[in-house]
Amino acid sequence: MAELTERPPADAAPADAAPRVEPAAFAAGFVASLRRAGLPVSVDGAARLAESLQVLPPSQRSVLYWTCRIVLLSSRNQLPVFDAVFSAVFDGLLDPADQRGDPNAPPAIGSEASTRPAPRDDLAGRRQEPQGESGARAPAPAPAAGPADPGAVERETILMFASLERRLHTTSFALLSAEETEQVRHLVRRISLSTPLRRSRRVRPTHADGARLDLRRTVRAAHRTGEEPILLVSSRRRERPRRLVLLCDVSASMEPYTRVFLTLLQGAVAGANAEAFVFSAGLTRLTRQLAIRDADAALASAAASTADWAGGTRLGDSIRRFIDDHGRRGLARGAVIVVLSDGWALDDPAVVAAQMARLRRLAHRIVWVNPRTVAPGFQPLVGGMNAALPYLDAIVSGHSYAALGELADLIRAERLDLRSRPGTTTSTVPEPEPPTKGHDHAA
Amino acid sequence: MAPGGVGLPSSPARGGATAEVRALVPDVAALQAALAAEDYLADEGLATALFLAVRLPQPILLEGEPGVGKTEAAKALARALDTPLFRLQCYEGIDAGEALYEWNYPRQLLAIRLAEASGSGIDEDALFGPEYLLRRPLLQAIEHPGPRPAVLLLDEIDRADAEFEAFTLELLAEAAVTIPELGTIRAAVPPIVILTSNRTRDLHDALTRRCLYHWIEYPSPERIAGIVRRRVPGSSERLAVDTATAIIRLRSLDLVKPPGIAEAIDWAAALAVLGADRLDPHHVVQTWGSLLKNRDDLDLALARGADWVAGS
Repeated sequence: MAELTERPPADAAPADAAPRVEPAAFAAGFVASLRRAGLPVSVDGAARLAESLQVLPPSQRSVLYWTCRIVLLSSRNQLPVFDAVFSAVFDGLLDPADQRGDPNAPPAIGSEASTRPAPRDDLAGRRQEPQGESGARAPAPAPAAGPADPGAVERETILMFASLERRLHTTSFALLSAEETEQVRHLVRRISLSTPLRRSRRVRPTHADGARLDLRRTVRAAHRTGEEPILLVSSRRRERPRRLVLLCDVSASMEPYTRVFLTLLQGAVAGANAEAFVFSAGLTRLTRQLAIRDADAALASAAASTADWAGGTRLGDSIRRFIDDHGRRGLARGAVIVVLSDGWALDDPAVVAAQMARLRRLAHRIVWVNPRTVAPGFQPLVGGMNAALPYLDAIVSGHSYAALGELADLIRAERLDLRSRPGTTTSTVPEPEPPTKGHDHAA
Repeated sequence: MAPGGVGLPSSPARGGATAEVRALVPDVAALQAALAAEDYLADEGLATALFLAVRLPQPILLEGEPGVGKTEAAKALARALDTPLFRLQCYEGIDAGEALYEWNYPRQLLAIRLAEASGSGIDEDALFGPEYLLRRPLLQAIEHPGPRPAVLLLDEIDRADAEFEAFTLELLAEAAVTIPELGTIRAAVPPIVILTSNRTRDLHDALTRRCLYHWIEYPSPERIAGIVRRRVPGSSERLAVDTATAIIRLRSLDLVKPPGIAEAIDWAAALAVLGADRLDPHHVVQTWGSLLKNRDDLDLALARGADWVAGS
């Protein structure tokens, strides 16, 4: 298949205006190129492309471009990779070695992709950010950064050592050894997050008073009684949980907590249909990756596809990106939003405040998780954190397993008490007043 | 992996478009011209996308910033093909009763009472006949007798829940619907399906796999000017160009809601009503409201001043 891939383009490359392509062979080859570049082109994509090329014979390069793009892509964020692959194939970025072979040789059907010459793999990556390269490849050999699932055996072990577990419950994630971190992640995986309910548009039958008469069900029921509507069926709105959105800071300053928090995110995505985003210099939606793979691999692949990963944290900017690209379109409306960040950011605090104000107007509840709030004498002097405070419903430390339990309570609560509970590190934030270490500041 | 070198379409044979549609839309340029005749200026990419959707035929998923003309594209396509447009606005909790069909229960109850009062028996077959059926957009599109296919617009499909998405797809793939009391209704001419999405959630792979996809880019100033000219009767050439340039200028600001094409048209219309034949700062001040609909944005634009917006 690899042999097939670049041949038609190589053939066509000199004819700039009107690439000569044989639909079936070209489609198969081009799709293979895209898949190698990491695009999730579906298996029948090649067939559909071939079909489209018959309906619309590519008389010009642009026709071919649009046809391929329209048929094969399924999301805007695939565009950069697609464009890179397309121009690599057509704009002479091919490895010259490609043309050494006999262009008329029959394609080696079934030849394995692994037989291709090594440099060709770079086709897709060449126009991307250097970091993009590993992520741009086929997802199959995804870097297994984390341990390959320690498995249930280890979990059993944890359960046997109650005292150890108690220690794990209360120790800050930052103070745990790598091994303990893994154990805590097993615990965290068991935390189930749920959000308060709200009324949905769907109805269910009910016998309660005050419900609406459901004509549809009543008439259906009447069929059984000779069209005599004896049984009046009422219905009322179903309730469904609010959407849960988690935004997790993965910058260097959060590093000790990131791995555990990602596990929390993963559990939320799987268990509560949450939407998960990570941010540092830029914002990345991680829901999909977390749903299908190991949290570490998801983060690694996200890091690979984000160019500015290594830069400083841009809190305000990331929240802006979240609101502009996702939040205002519906994701954040009426949702419970959890921000996990220490608030250390490069942005101007005014930007953070402005974006938090926008988020406040969209969201039902905003809970901030800042592990640094447990430090003795913590004051939210960090610009970003201080700017965000007035817009929060609650701030919680979330630094240990027990503290994450409080977070779960805050997310679940139908209504937040304005008084914080004693003896915890939780503070609700009724006023833009800096919360202290967490004992009853509202009192 | 992709089906290796054998490149024959493995998907079920779709007859392709009918001869009449083929004659009506022989190539991309013809479709582009037909859309332009309906005052919809599509660039090559969008025209190609719609062409493939019509000719393959295959559902197409259109995405783009709000106000970039996704819904309008479906409307213009329906007009260009001279076929009806059936639009289903999706929302959370939408179900078959609202999308496909519903029995007219009040009317059925009435008929039952009437039959009782007059002493004549009630015929259940009559009670579940077509006259008691409320046809919702999906059913209407399937029942469309032709000869040309209807255009079915599923607007903001991401707002519906995943179950509805799956149900819709199944229905569209079959181009037939079974109503227990009436039997199966098969489409004489399967509709041309256009879906739009705002990406509030990831659409299911099953959906994206079956659809063509096109991201509508924000158009160039020339194209905006062209669109404004066509959509705002009584706008001068000069006004259209000024408006387009000013909109592009505003979009360079860091706005929460950058003005889209819809705003450009509204704005030009407002200016035309005010009797402007070109853009000057005074007119800008008068018409902020049709342009910027967010307090923060307005502050930002005011800081730059009306002169800057008007380019004078």
